[in-house]
Parts: sequence; structure tokens; C-alpha cells
Amino acid sequence: MNHKWAMAIDLDRCTGCGACVTACVAENNIPVAGEAEVEKGRLMQWLRVERYWDGEYPEANAVYLPVPCMQCERAPCETVCPVYATYHNEDGLNAMVYNRCVGTRYCANNCPYSVRVFNFRDHTWEKPLDEQLSPDLSVRSRGVMEKCTFCIQRIRRVKETAAAEGRAIRDGEVVPACVQTCPPGALLFGDLDDPHSEITRKLKDPRRFRLLEHLGTEPRVVYLKRQKGAGL
Amino acid sequence: MSGVVVIGLFEGVEKAAGAGDALRALPLPEEKITTISSVPLPDGAVCRDTRPIRFPRITLVGWFVGALAGFALALGTYLLYPLITGGKAIISVPPTLIVTYEVAMLGALIGTVVAGFREMGLMRFRKQIIHDPRIQEGKILVCATVEPGEQAQRAIEALSAAGGIDVRSEEGET
Amino acid sequence: MSGGDHLARTDQAALYHELTRSNLPATRRWFLVTGLLALVALWGAGCFIYMMKTGMGVTGLNRPVFWGSFISSFVFWIGLSHSGTLISAILRLTNATWRAPILRGAEAMTAFTLMVGGLFPLIHIGRNWRFYYMIPYPNSRQLWPNLRSPLMWDAVAINTYLLGSLTFLYFGMIPDLAIARDHATGWRKKFYAVLALGFRGSHGEWRRYHVASTIFAILIIPVAVSVHSIVGWDFAMAKVPGWHSTIFAPYFVTGAIFSGIAGVVLVMATLRKVYSLERVLTTVQFENLGKLLCMMSLLWGYFYFAEFLTVWYNRNPEEWEVFRSYGGHYLPLWLSMVVCNFVVPFPLLCMRRVRRSVPALCLVSLLVVAGMYAERFLIVVPSLARRNIPFIWHNYFPSWVEFSVLAGALAMFLLLYTVFAKLFPIMAVSDIQERLFQATDRTMGGATVETLAREGSGEGGHG
Repeated sequence: MNHKWAMAIDLDRCTGCGACVTACVAENNIPVAGEAEVEKGRLMQWLRVERYWDGEYPEANAVYLPVPCMQCERAPCETVCPVYATYHNEDGLNAMVYNRCVGTRYCANNCPYSVRVFNFRDHTWEKPLDEQLSPDLSVRSRGVMEKCTFCIQRIRRVKETAAAEGRAIRDGEVVPACVQTCPPGALLFGDLDDPHSEITRKLKDPRRFRLLEHLGTEPRVVYLKRQKGAGL
Repeated sequence: MSGVVVIGLFEGVEKAAGAGDALRALPLPEEKITTISSVPLPDGAVCRDTRPIRFPRITLVGWFVGALAGFALALGTYLLYPLITGGKAIISVPPTLIVTYEVAMLGALIGTVVAGFREMGLMRFRKQIIHDPRIQEGKILVCATVEPGEQAQRAIEALSAAGGIDVRSEEGET
Repeated sequence: MSGGDHLARTDQAALYHELTRSNLPATRRWFLVTGLLALVALWGAGCFIYMMKTGMGVTGLNRPVFWGSFISSFVFWIGLSHSGTLISAILRLTNATWRAPILRGAEAMTAFTLMVGGLFPLIHIGRNWRFYYMIPYPNSRQLWPNLRSPLMWDAVAINTYLLGSLTFLYFGMIPDLAIARDHATGWRKKFYAVLALGFRGSHGEWRRYHVASTIFAILIIPVAVSVHSIVGWDFAMAKVPGWHSTIFAPYFVTGAIFSGIAGVVLVMATLRKVYSLERVLTTVQFENLGKLLCMMSLLWGYFYFAEFLTVWYNRNPEEWEVFRSYGGHYLPLWLSMVVCNFVVPFPLLCMRRVRRSVPALCLVSLLVVAGMYAERFLIVVPSLARRNIPFIWHNYFPSWVEFSVLAGALAMFLLLYTVFAKLFPIMAVSDIQERLFQATDRTMGGATVETLAREGSGEGGHG
């Protein structure tokens, strides 16, 4: 049974706390690049919270925009990889195959949202931090692209459990790390193929919009426009 | 042409042309007369090239073989590894055209090299080939492939009479 | 004698020795230069290995500027390779009478710039040791390369062009190798004898040689055009503002030919100076190259203006931010490019005095080569540094590792060329001789003019 995973981000609720980013880093074996590397522009985080200032002091308002991988249906990153290291899987996710990647970085150039992250170095986790690494997914070597996968390891685990128990996946059973952690509940994840899922209902909201929609990438991440205070 | 070859060096095109006329008067058929020179001589100046030039056909053959190979590579990859990328069709036409074209040109190039080398008679390392390094001084070597014996003798006389230097007969291929 | 052609009054042996001064046994100066080049090339290779072991982090690359100096260099070197193709193939096909002395040098330049340029895709990828994933070979991984990717088109096209230009170079050398074989002694005689493949210059051989040369010339031109179009499509296929432009294919080909001619001028001028070839590489060659360079400068300026005008007039926000950076952070580089590619070269090259002066032409060519590198850099970097999402805009500057690798690449090209010139005839001796053979002097009244014989254009031989 295939699914159509999607994410809804309610900008009315996002406070820009960054807990989602921390959760993602913890869940997905993402290394900490360090201040020097970040200054050079080599942040390793898959999910970023963008902050834009609206207005001038003293009426300035911060607008926060969490940006994960959009899992575009017409992903521009997939066509340009010379080795098929990224492709569209049956769940409609943009899958990343670390072992296949040779590191041409064309996919990263072609992503209009710049959500793809490159391993510019080998990373180490000082003891005992290495004990925190998740065995469900790999630790990437240098020279390999990576990006948000909608926590595909969690999707797989739920699929296996449901298959073992001989039932369909229930709505709300698959929870990526960022969705799980978000304190104000701004992030929502679900299956658009399920007509009764919460996300299908939520995305009927007239506030909905997608980033850079004019490029025709058809992202699966839908934002709900902020209405309190400064609009986006 | 291989066999007994009567050769003689001549100074300048006009003298070589005279030698060619003398050989044709023997009589000797056109295809048995050739020149070896450091610069290409116009066809008909001393001798005429009687064999048709066939290898350009292989260029075309090579082009089609390459096109087929490129097409098979592109189409084969799409059919054997049907992965969806970017929402595009599994069988993408423009990239197939590009790859087909490039491999076709490669096929044409390789075909030209292989067939050209063969028809030019290059890479005959094991055979005895007629040559005289003195052509690099500007002399022209006129060669006549003859029957040994009487025809060879008459050819030697004709070339010597036409002003040939070091006229001799050798065994080999022209 | 009614011959009177210029070859008849030339001592061919002396001509040969004059043209092949570069093949004389190596002097101490040669070893010094070669040694120095080898050192720089080794330094570059060492830095590359360091980068391979440590990761791409030793470069200045970052998010979003994932492609930087290596890709700019890749495009630059592949662009330089259009020198030989244009000179050799097009001049052969159009029967330009002045082409003979520059043929070999230009063809060699194509082959070696392609070799160096073709290294950069291997240098710039993150996991260089897994480059073979891009080759369709039978494997147990159940995957082949994705031919939808412009990078794979690059692989196929550049391989075809490399093989084609090496063939073109070698094939063009065969008569010269035969001449060299006939003149040489010792190990060189054996060397040339093997490489000349038994060519002697028989009538049938010459005729077929000419046909094959023509066919190669006809084949290599579309390949060259397609190669740089495909390199341009590496960018044009992307959803990057400033890259996604339909003009990129012809624009890149034009830029390639432009930089290629400038490269040929520089290489030829160096050969002329080092091996005292002033009698052969005359002002005629340089003036004609200068005319071509002038035309290409105008053509490049036209293409650039056309692209600029389209973006400027439309002010599409995403593209406009990129172009605004040309007037901001990238202003010095952008001004250098415009000045070096058009503002200085075009007016100067319109002047006969400049075209006929080898030092002046060399200076202009040097400016063009520098300007074209700046142009490649300005295509690759600002579009990435100022792309769609402003939050992650970031500047880029190459690191010492990148500079080392680039220097090593240049040194490797020069090294390959120097060794080639030492071992092989760098002047197309047979073409020059052929030209001399076809030339005669004809008196018209009080003037004596040079006439060139062309086969097939006469009324037939005398009976």
C-alpha cells in the first residue's frame, strides 16, 4: 500500500524556538559542524528555521519559517544526479541513497530551496556522544550529499510494524522527529492519500501556500499563512 | 601492388611526368604506375589513381552503428533501471537524442580511422615496402610494378632514359 | 624548368631542420623548465590528494555555492580546447592558405587542454574514488548512470571529443612522422618508424589521406560545437537564476572559440620565440588570428549584451538579484571581465598595427584569456551566491588548495605541451611543404604575384 506523505507547517504557531532542528539533529546522526565551519556556510542541519525581519525598530517583527526538504513531486534534484543517487520512491518521497552518491553536488545546485547539505568533511563524535547515534540510519562519510528524509527510518519502522500486525497504518502513527518535538504543535505530518487524516483536513485551509510555487516543483510541504501580527 | 617493382628517383615533377609517360608507352597499365613523394602530387601529373576511394562508406556505417549503440545505451538504461526522477517520463527523449548523437559521431570517427588506415595501407609492419628516404630532399620516386624478366628490363631502360637517378628493381609492395 | 614552385627552390632538408628545432636533444634549459613545471604539477596533485583525504572542506565551497573554481576551470579548459578544432578543421575545410604553420600547435593544444579539462570533473566530486559509478559497466549494484543528467552528457561528449581530437592530432602528424623517420637516427628513427605506421607518401596514400583529413575535419566541428553546448547545458538545465537561459549553448560555444583563439596566439608566440620560427610563423599568421580574435570579441560582446538586456529589461526578481550583485560584491571582477574581453581587445584588434605586432597581440590575448576565466567564474558563482532563498546567500572565495590545484593543472598542460614539442614535430612540415609546392610566382606586367595551385580547379592537364 502506498502513501502520499506530506507535511503542514502552521506559521501562526511557529515561535522559532528551534526545537525541531535539535530533534532532527539528534534523530538523524547529523554532525555538529562547529562555529568556524558554519561561518564558512557549511551548516549541517537538515531542517533550518529562517528568520526574516519585518518592519523597522521599534515596530520590527520576526517572521519564522521552518524549511525542511520539500519532497517535491517534480524534484529538480532528481533529474540531474548522474548516478541515480536520488530518486522518487513509491511513497512520493525524494529518496537519498548515500552509498551511491559520488558528490557532484549538482542536486544541491538544482534545489531552489537549498535544503540539501553536503558533507564537506568527515565528522567525529567525541565519546560518549557516539553512543547517541541512531543505528537505524548510517553515518555519512565526507563527499556525500544528505537532506531531510521525512525521517524515513521512522516511516519504515511503522510500515514494518503495521505489516507484521496485518493492518493499515493509522493516522498519526508516523511522526518525524521534528513533528514529534514541536512544542506549539506547528508541524503536522500525515498521509494525503488517507481522506480522513488530519493533514488532509488541515490542508483545506485557505491560508495554505507553498514556497517558490512558480517554479513548478510541486512541494509536499505546505505552509499555512501567518495571520496574527505581520503576515508573510 | 606487390611483386617486382622498378623504381627510380627524379628531380622535379616534369622529369617524373616524363618517366610516367615513358612507362605508359612500354606499355604498362595505369594501375601499375605510382609515385612516392614528400608532397602530394595532383592526380594525373605523373600517374593517376585508378582505385576508387571506398572507405568513406565506412564512416557512414560507423555513424549508424554508433547511433544504434548510443540509442541502446540510453533506452536500455531507462528500461532496465526504471527510476522516477523529477516527475519526468521514464523514457526521456531529448537526453536519448543527445547521447545517440554523440556516440554516433564517435562511431563515425572510429570507422574513418580504422577503414582509412586499412585503405591507405598503413600498419603493414611485416611486409617489405618500397621506400627511398631521398624523397625528403625533393626528389620523386616513380615506381612501376612489372613482370620479372623482359618487362622489368625495358622498364629500367625507360626510366634511365627519362633521367632517373639510381634506377633499380626491388621486391616489395608499393 | 616550368616548375618554379617555391618548394623547388627550398632546401627541404634545411627546411625540415628549421621547423623541427624543438626536436633537437634536450638542453639544460629545457630540463629546467620541464622540471619546474613538473614540480608545480606535483604540488597541485599533492594538494588534490590532501583534499581527497580530508574532504572538500579544504576548499572555499559552501552552501549555496557548491560549485566554484573547479567548475569554472573545467569550463575554461574545455573552452580552450576549441582552439585546435576551429583552426584546423574550419581552416582546412575553407582552404585558408595561411593555416599550415599553426595546424599542429593548435591541434596539440586541443588535445592537451581537453585532457586537463577532463580531469576537473574527477577533481571536483566529493567521492573521487567512486567516479566509476558514472560508467555504465555490468555490476551487482543494480544501477547504471542516469543519462538524463547533463553531467552524463558531458561524460559522453567529452570522451567523444577527446578521442576525436587525439585521432585528429595523430592522423595529421602521420606524414610529418614519416618525414621525421626518414631524417632521424638512433632511437628516434625507431620511434618515428613505429608511429608513422609505414606511411611513405605514395600517390594512393596521399589521396586517401586528404579524403580522410577532410572527413575528420567535417566530423570534428559538430562534435566540438555539441561538446561546449553540452557544457553550457550543465548550467542551463538548472533551476538557478542566471543559469536557466536558452542562450547558454551558443554563448558558451562562442566564448570557447574566443578563448581558444587567444590561447593559440599565446602558444604560437611562445613557440616562435623559443624555437626561432619567425620565418614560418610570420605576421600573416598572427594578423589573421588577430582578425579572428577581433570578430570573436565582437560576437562575445553581442551575446553577453543580449543576455544582459533580456534580464535587465524584465527585472525578474530572482534573476535580478544575481545581476545586481555584478554591480555590488562582484563589481571588480565584472568590470575586469568586460574590460578584458571587449573594451580593450575589440578596439585594439581593429587596428592593423596591433594585429601585426606579435607582442601586442600576445598582450591582448593574455587579457582575453584572463577575462574569459573571469567570465566563467562570474557565470558559476554569483548565481549560486545570490539564489532563490535570500536567507542562505553566502559569498565564496577559493582557498589555497584550489589555487594550488588550478596552478597544477596549468603546469600540467604546459608540461604535456613541452614534452610533446620535444618528441614530436610541432610544425606541420608536410602541410608547409605542400603549401610551398603549390605556390609559384607569376608576373603580371610590372608586378610579381604569388599564385597558388589548386587541384580540380583547372581546365585539365595538357594532353
